[in-house]
Amino acid sequence: MLKIRIIPILTFNGLGLVKTKQFSNPRMVGNAVQAARVYNSRGVDELIFLDISASQQNRKINLKLVADVIKECYMPVGIGGGISCIDDINNLLKIGADKVIIKTKALTDKTFIKECVSFFGSQCISISVDAIKNGDNYSIYNKLNLEITLEEFINDMNECNVGEFVVTSVDCDGMMDGFDVNLINRVASKTNIPIIAVGGGGNMTHFNDLFLNSTTEAVGSASIFHFTQYTPLDIKMELQKLNKPVRL
Amino acid sequence: MIAIVDYGMGNVASVQKALNFLNLKSIITNDHKLIAESNYIVLPGVGSFKQGMINLKEHKLDELLTKLVIHEKKNFLGICLGMQLIAEFGNEPEKCEGLGWIKGEVKKMESHHLRIPHMGWNDIDIKNETYFNGILSKDFYFIHSFHFDVTNINDVSSFVRYGDKLVSSIQHENIFATQFHPEKSQDSGLQLLRNYFSNAKD
Repeated sequence: MLKIRIIPILTFNGLGLVKTKQFSNPRMVGNAVQAARVYNSRGVDELIFLDISASQQNRKINLKLVADVIKECYMPVGIGGGISCIDDINNLLKIGADKVIIKTKALTDKTFIKECVSFFGSQCISISVDAIKNGDNYSIYNKLNLEITLEEFINDMNECNVGEFVVTSVDCDGMMDGFDVNLINRVASKTNIPIIAVGGGGNMTHFNDLFLNSTTEAVGSASIFHFTQYTPLDIKMELQKLNKPVRL
Repeated sequence: MIAIVDYGMGNVASVQKALNFLNLKSIITNDHKLIAESNYIVLPGVGSFKQGMINLKEHKLDELLTKLVIHEKKNFLGICLGMQLIAEFGNEPEKCEGLGWIKGEVKKMESHHLRIPHMGWNDIDIKNETYFNGILSKDFYFIHSFHFDVTNINDVSSFVRYGDKLVSSIQHENIFATQFHPEKSQDSGLQLLRNYFSNAKD
């Protein structure tokens, strides 16, 4: 049986690891390579590393640093940040990335995403869906002043045949007071590719709620691992009590 | 020496990293002479079947590998796309011929209720224990949308259940191949590689 994936997320701002709240107020939380080493030793299911300011600062991801992070990992790693051409992806795969995570370019260039999928295969191309609540609906958070609804974006990306959605609730990011299960279910009902739910995990109850009330098979989290004593294994032990499939 | 075949289909670095961890000497190459001189051939890879065949043919690696593996019986390990390419036929993005070493066809996974790609850790049902000795967990990491429908069940060394029963590894004489990624499957994957290459140290 396919196991639920508990995925620590490392967010990098060009200088160091940071953790944001609602996508602002970055707080320094340490060293990326050391963090990757710890997560590897704990046998986590997967790791995500995102350079959250590369696109905004119009620079490429630091390949040397990413290579050092990946070197620590004997599990799959997804990398994102400032990906805007085929060579960017080639460079990341060459140093051992398994998946790339694309956001900004996906908002502006569907043709590019289609090209990525045909070149590298669906399974390699994950799309970051940063959703912000807007009354009863959601729109896609971006710094390009683009107005795009959650549904429009999911449909566009489905059409491109991408392999996975990393769905982050901007409102819940870093707040540690629970996931936006409604958001996750909305995306789940619009696609049949895997979804990683992100944003809001602060205690065991939050994770239990997410997996009891949605069909998602993966969760990404950062704050809970930076700021509490909980580890990915603790979350799995709790989920196991609910008869959810986990890898211990 | 282990030759990791470099044919521009990604992820060769991860395989070498795992082999380095196990203190196994390997080289990433598309050089015919170096591949012919090696004791083991590893064909990794991610991406589309057709592109994989095009890339192999571009360097005449298809002919070389068939000569070494089928006629000279050199040990061969295929991983993910490297397992699929040894099929007779693939379908990504359209039907095309593979290396044809193992009878069967690589087909798109179809499901109404399961998310595809099949992505994540899944436990396998082992039919042939040869290389799975000493493995503590049967969970391995999968990431694929196509699966190898193997004709002869005797060629199958393990299955994985994802909706249907899918082939997760193949063993036939000197050929061993996995749909999952041992190099990304932490302790279990490393143990599998250790088992497989236990004769490779030179």
